Formats: sequence, C-alpha cells, structure tokens
Amino acid sequence: MVLKTFHADSVKGFRQAWADNTSDGFQPNAAVIFSSVDLELQELVSFLQTIKIQAFGCSSCGEFLYDTNNQVITEGGVVCLMMTLIPESFDIKQFNGLGRSSFELGNNIGKWAGERFEKPAILILGSGLETDGEQLVRGIQHVAGNDVSMFGGLAGDDTQFKETFVFSEEKLENNGAIVMALNTSQYIIQGLATSGWVSIGADKIITHAEGNIVYTIDGQPALDVYKDYLNVSDTDLPEIGVEYPLLIKKPGAQDVLRAVINVDREKKSLIFAGTVPNGAVVTFSCSPGFEIIESTRNKVNEFHNHNEEADLLILFSCMARHNALGPTISEEIDEAWHNWAKPLIGFFTYGEIGNNYNAACDFYNETFTMVSIKQKSDVA
Amino acid sequence: MSHKIVTLIEEISKAQSPEAFFGLKAFLLNELKKVHSDYDKLAFKYERSTKEKNILNSLLTKTSVDLKKVSDNLKIRAEELSILLTTIPAFVYFKDTQLKYQIVNQQFAELAGIPSDQIAGKMIHEVFPGYENSDYLEKEYAVLKNGIALYDLEEELTFKDWKRWINSNIAPIRNLENQIVGLIGISWDITERKLHEEELQKSNELAVAGTLAKNEFIASVSHEFRTPMNGILGLSEILKNSPLAPDQVDLLNGIISSAENLLVLLNDVLDFSAIEAGKMEMDYQPFMLDRVMEDISLVMKMKAAEKSLLFDIVIEEMVPNLLIGDSQRFRQIMINLTNNAVKFTEHGKIAVHVSLVKLSGNSAHLRFEVSDTGIGIAPDALNSLFRVFSRIKPSKARQQSGTGLGLSICKKLTELMGGRIGVESSLGKGSLFWFTLPFTLSILHKNRSQEDQPAASSCFKQKLVLVAEDNAINQRIVSYHLQKMGFEVELAIDGQQALEKYHTRNFDLVVLDIQMPLMDGYQVAKAIRQEEQGSLRHLPIIALTANAMKGDRESYLEAGMDDYVSKPFTYATLEKVISKALCRAIN
Repeated sequence: MVLKTFHADSVKGFRQAWADNTSDGFQPNAAVIFSSVDLELQELVSFLQTIKIQAFGCSSCGEFLYDTNNQVITEGGVVCLMMTLIPESFDIKQFNGLGRSSFELGNNIGKWAGERFEKPAILILGSGLETDGEQLVRGIQHVAGNDVSMFGGLAGDDTQFKETFVFSEEKLENNGAIVMALNTSQYIIQGLATSGWVSIGADKIITHAEGNIVYTIDGQPALDVYKDYLNVSDTDLPEIGVEYPLLIKKPGAQDVLRAVINVDREKKSLIFAGTVPNGAVVTFSCSPGFEIIESTRNKVNEFHNHNEEADLLILFSCMARHNALGPTISEEIDEAWHNWAKPLIGFFTYGEIGNNYNAACDFYNETFTMVSIKQKSDVA
Repeated sequence: MSHKIVTLIEEISKAQSPEAFFGLKAFLLNELKKVHSDYDKLAFKYERSTKEKNILNSLLTKTSVDLKKVSDNLKIRAEELSILLTTIPAFVYFKDTQLKYQIVNQQFAELAGIPSDQIAGKMIHEVFPGYENSDYLEKEYAVLKNGIALYDLEEELTFKDWKRWINSNIAPIRNLENQIVGLIGISWDITERKLHEEELQKSNELAVAGTLAKNEFIASVSHEFRTPMNGILGLSEILKNSPLAPDQVDLLNGIISSAENLLVLLNDVLDFSAIEAGKMEMDYQPFMLDRVMEDISLVMKMKAAEKSLLFDIVIEEMVPNLLIGDSQRFRQIMINLTNNAVKFTEHGKIAVHVSLVKLSGNSAHLRFEVSDTGIGIAPDALNSLFRVFSRIKPSKARQQSGTGLGLSICKKLTELMGGRIGVESSLGKGSLFWFTLPFTLSILHKNRSQEDQPAASSCFKQKLVLVAEDNAINQRIVSYHLQKMGFEVELAIDGQQALEKYHTRNFDLVVLDIQMPLMDGYQVAKAIRQEEQGSLRHLPIIALTANAMKGDRESYLEAGMDDYVSKPFTYATLEKVISKALCRAIN
C-alpha cells in the first residue's frame, strides 16, 4: 500500500497539492478527505470527478493530519490521504438518507457491504445533523450481524450546527452516508474507543422522548433544563450540549453518552446524536479536566501493545473533546502518531462509531475513536 | 515555561558578538515556538477553567438542590417504610446470609420480648432460646441458595410460657448487582385459625355423618315407596286390560299418569341423594347412539303429539355412532331436557340436534341441543336454572309439576361424565338447552340381538314358573302378568317356602323378590346355584327389586341371578327380561 498525505486551506490549494503529489507518476485509487465547510465543497467534488479518484469524505469541525512531513491540526482547512488499495478488495458507495430512517439507511448499507464481501469491514461517514447514529449502527448490524467490524464518524460543520455533508467524487449530500467496504481477508481492521467523560449531578428521568428527540426531562422542557442547570443562554446550545452530554445509565451494561446536536426552540426540545429512550435514567456529564488526556494516552499505548502493526490510522475525535481540551488535544493525537509513526488522518466529529477492541460496534459521543488498517500481504 | 524562558535569556546573554547572536537564531526560533505553544495551552486552560467554573458551579448548585430534594424524599420514604414496618400486622424480619437478624419490626420484638435493637446480629435460637426447628432453618438456607421465595411455611413455636402456630413467607433480598445479600421473612400468628380449622374439621365430620344418614334415610324411604307404587301401577295395568266403561278408562288413565309422575319424582330424589352422597358412579358400556336416540324419539314423539307439537331429531353425518359411555345417564339427561321442552311448549316444535364438536384420537366430543318454541325463560332466571330446587317460573296459564331437581341432576350428570351444560333463551320465543359430552369411540359392534331380543312368548307356553313374593298385591300383579304370558305360576310367600317348593317341582324359571322374611332373595338364589353345582342345569332366576341404586345389579349377578326387574315394572319390561333369560337358557 502506497500512501501520501497533504493538507490545504482552499480548493485551489488542494488541486495544487494533488498535482504535486502525483507529479512523480503516483496513481492513487482512493482518497480519504476531511474538509471544513468553509471550503467550496461542490468545487472540491467537481475536481475529484475530473481526476476520477474514488473519494471517501465529509465535512468536519476541524481536521488533523500527522505524517513525517506534516503534523497539523487545522480549522477551516482540508486534509487528504491518497492511497493505493487492492482494487478488488475495497469499494466505496454513497447512500442517500432522504425519506428513510437512520435504521433503514443502515439496512441498505449492511446489505450492500454483505454483497460486496463475504466478511467486510465498514468505514462510514454519516451526515451529522440528520442521522441518529445509534439507529444507523443498529440498522447495519440488523443486516450484517453484530460482529461486523465498523468504524466512522458523523460529519461536522465547524460547530455551526446548520448543515453537514458527506461526499464522494460523484456528489455532495447533506443527508446520508458514505461507506468504504474493505475485504477483511486482505485487510486487518482494529480499533479503540475511549471517552473519559464522567457523570455529574443527580439522576434525572427522561419523561418524554421520541427516538433521538427529547421533549421533557423530569417533566420540564428539555431545553429549559439544560439552560437552567448549566446556567447558559439560549444561543449556547447546541454547542454546550455536546460538551455536557447526557449520560444514559444502563443497568448491567456500559453507560452511554449522548450529545445534543440540534435544538427545536419552538418546542423547547433537544435533538441528540443517538436514541434517548423514554423513561431512561440520565445525568449530566462532563470532562473531568485535562487528566482525560493521560487516560487516552494510556489506552492508546495499551492498544498499541496488542496491535503494533498498522499501515495507517484514521481517527474520529468528538468536537467536544476539541472544545474541552483546546490546543492540548494535540497531546492525545501525538501519542497515536508516535506509537505507530504511520500516516494518521482524522477529524473532529458530531459522533463516533467503532468497535472497542473485539466488542460489538456501538455509537458514541465524546470519544477518541481510532481505527488501524493493515494490508495483510504487507505482513508477509 | 518560566524555566524555558530563563534558558533562552541565558543563551542570548552568552552571545558575545552579533555573529554569535545570529548563530542562535534557528535555536531561538524553535524554542520560542515551543514557548508559544505552551503559552497557548496555558492560556486555553485558564480561559477554559474560568468558563467551566461557571457551568460547574451552576451544575453543583442545582445538584445540591436536587440532592436536598432526593434526601428529603428519602427521609419521607424512610418514615413511610418505618410506619409500614411498625404497623403491619405481621412479624417482619430481615436476615443476612448467615441468617443473623438485621432488622425486625416492633411486632417481632414484642413476640420475642426483646427490644428490636438487641435482636440485630443474633441467631434465631439466641432470640428464642430452645428453638430447634432445623427444618425451618434449612428452608431459609435454601432460599439464600436458590433465590426462590417459599410460602406458607407453618410451624408450631413453643417459647417461654406460650405456644403459637406461625405461618411464614420468606423471600431472598438482592442488591443492585442481583446478588443475594439476605432474606426477608413475614410471619403471621395463625393460632386462632388453626383452632378454627380444628373445630371446622370436627363439624365437617359431623356434617358428613349427617349427610350420610340423610342419604340412607332417603334411600330406604324411596325403597319403601317403590313397593306400593308397584302395586298401584301394576294393578292399574291389570285393571286397564279388563272391560271398563269409557269414563272409567279416563279415571284409570288419571291414576296411571299420576303414579308415573310420582315415580319420576321418586327417581329424581333417589338420583339426587346418590349424587350428593358421591355415590353416583357412571357405568361406561359400548352403545349405539342412533338406537338410543330412536328410543327417545319414540317416547317423546308420543308425548309431543298429545300436545300437537312436532318432535324432530337430527344427527349430523359426522357424528360417530358406536360409542362408549353411560347410555342410561345420557338417556336420562335427554329425556329430562326433552320432557321439559314438551312441558313448556304449547305450539310449534321441539328439535333435537346432535353435532360433533371435536374428534381426537379415539375420543369424540359431542354437542346435544334441545330447542323449543315455548314460553322461554327470563334472563334473570337463567343463572340459577341449574341450581338445586330451581324451577322454571311457570307461565301464568299453568303450573308445572316437578321436584326442581331435574336440571340440577342433568348438570351434575354431565359434569360427572366430563361435559358441560347450558341454556340460551328468549322470553316468549323459546329456549335452547345444550350439553356436551366426551365419549370414547367403540370399535366393537354391539350385538343387536343381545340388547333387544324379540319377545318370544312362544317360549313361555306350558312353562312352570316359581314366584316368591311376600307382598300380596305384588303377588297378584306378577301372577297376572305371568299367566297372561302363558306361564303356569306357583306362588311362595317367603324365601324359605320358595326353596322348599323348588325341591318339589321341576321349574323352568324362578322370579324372586329380594326383601322377604325368613330367607331373602339372595339367599334363595345362592342356595339354588349351590345345588346346581356339578350338574349341567342352570335354572333362570330373575330378581324383583325395589332397590334401584347403582351397584345393586352387580350384587344380584354375584348371588347367581340372571337378571333383574326394577319395581314398579310394566308388563312389557317383565316380558322382555324373562324372554331374554329363557332364550339364553335354551341356547
């Protein structure tokens, strides 16, 4: 597998960098691209079409790229990983989400991946404001089985919470998903998801919710509860709701964090990145401070001890981590880069999808979710 | 960071010349970059902590309010639970996994006579010295081990100067991780109840004895009724065959009809007392449904015709014909329901419908419906219809006779046979009585000749019959019927005389009353059979009996009799039984 990376701060810069990186005759057959919504994304897609590259991309809340030449965390830019994958062992397809539930969208994705490869691994980018990440994951698992390996994130829009995008070389869409299926007989896909967020405050009950929309908490309008408890103004939401997500207590199972991704000010309801069940017992949650970086570094090291070989790393880090950790977020990304010293690309998300070690895949908020990809023939 | 800045200043101060200073440029730039980055991070952390401080302060303030509410609620809950525990009229205790008491309620402490705080941590034998019911402790250990609650554990607790019966329920207590951490026991003092139960048991035994006595009385009274009834019916039949004036025939028919009604009542009372005493046993034999229904049709068509009513029986094609069941009891239910239908219908039709409900394996569930176009039954009367002594309210025009036992007997009989009975009715339009019965399918064809042998009066000519009967009226009736059949009759007035006469002539048939002075019918029959032993001779013996309880048949046959005729009997019945016995003897 030959890999090259670059970053740019405009579509023009992107075109130039692409030209520079292919001037030596390098002919990549796939590209992973994460871009700010500041860039003319339609123009970017048109360019990708002209160079006939299979692209796997989405909009972000900040992008990062670590390679021998570049180690950058950008906002308002674009990062790109150019790859030569075994043509018959990968495929990329874009799925439109309009008029179908996230679960149905997941069904379609699971069906396609299963048709492409007997044992596929799935990399997935979903539009960030329209998708119930949990239902998307359940929909895929419903068709492909619970043991399917799956990693990805929900697209961002630089915390404007207006419109997010997924794209291939063919089109730019604000509702749907783009999926890369990899044949696991050729590629080893492994990953890690870690959060560090902790519960704070007394238990509350979700008294009215439908899917990922929460209308009332303890009988009070959900928006009022958030404003009141966090002492913030109307305009601070949804952004502050990503940093202070609800922690859903699941007796006998791992607690789940659900971040606010949208607000219906008229109905005073909050829209979360994943399902919040009626009657669920929840608390607020927050980052306990900068010590979560240490916790992430330990988990990354531990993961590296079990999985030293990788050709590349893709990282999906929640935008709330970026908000909470600021420039110090580089310390946890640095750790991943230093351990493998292989190209690392990623973006700050509105939600993450991943298998934690060998556990079944789930949808998360507030996590540092990382996937390592290794081509098997290279092992030999 | 301050350390880095000091190092930088030191490096700059070391540079003695501009060249040396410029030589440091790359190093300085790199170090400055690091300082800048560190500054950025520090600045962010500062800004962040200020912003976070506000949010967390708010969250903490709100949380403390929430927690105060929760704590207040918990206090209220604790108080409520405490009140519940104190006032619940039961002994409540919590034990840990070593079965040591943790918490007990006031009632428990009072029972033990020790303050509740002194009970905590103790084992049961420390609270109730001398307690040795290891069985109960084993049950408590079983609850801890299996996690399954046990109910209704009764034990007699003897302690200090008292003795009480205690009933307990014990259940495991689990923590949030679902581990068993102890058990809860709730016990009641059931001493009073136990005493009541003992009293109840005693009075129950008395009641049972009373019921038995009552049933014996009814059985013997009804037996006593049968003998005069036989006289009335038998003599009336004889009288009917003698030349009478037309008005005398009418009067006689009145007597016969009244006597027949009285007999039905008598049979009802007898059946009812047998059911009540639990002595009603079913006699399951193979039979052909269509034959039984034909019999019923013959009887009922006549009764219906007297009132100008139509009577119709429909048996659906799917209904199996060869069944095993108590055909007599089935017939009784059918007759009762159809009789009622005729009784309460003035115009129209009585329809009997037989259908198959379910066929599975070798059993068939049949449904029988008797519908009429009669007066119907008011809705409020429907529920009590099958209760004892319930009577269908008579129409204002006429009153109907009956004991009120008929439907109750039908219900009991259907239930005894595993079926159900019910009624649908609409006042003024008619009623539909239905019942369902399970039958076993019979694979054996019943020999028709065996059941219904044609009367072969020719067999009787010149035959000699010995009749033993102590009642003079019955003597007359039996003699009259037998002579009419062509027999020569020799009479004996008791069992002993019968046996003596048996030795004097060569009889073709013996008809024995059961209850006679000196020797009863059983003894006579046994003696005759004993004498026959070793020879090929078998003299047909027929019992005449007023006993109509089930089980009697067996005892007659056991005594060596060939068949029996129940009093009161008709000419036809007597002829049929005798004919059967004689033809069997000839064959």
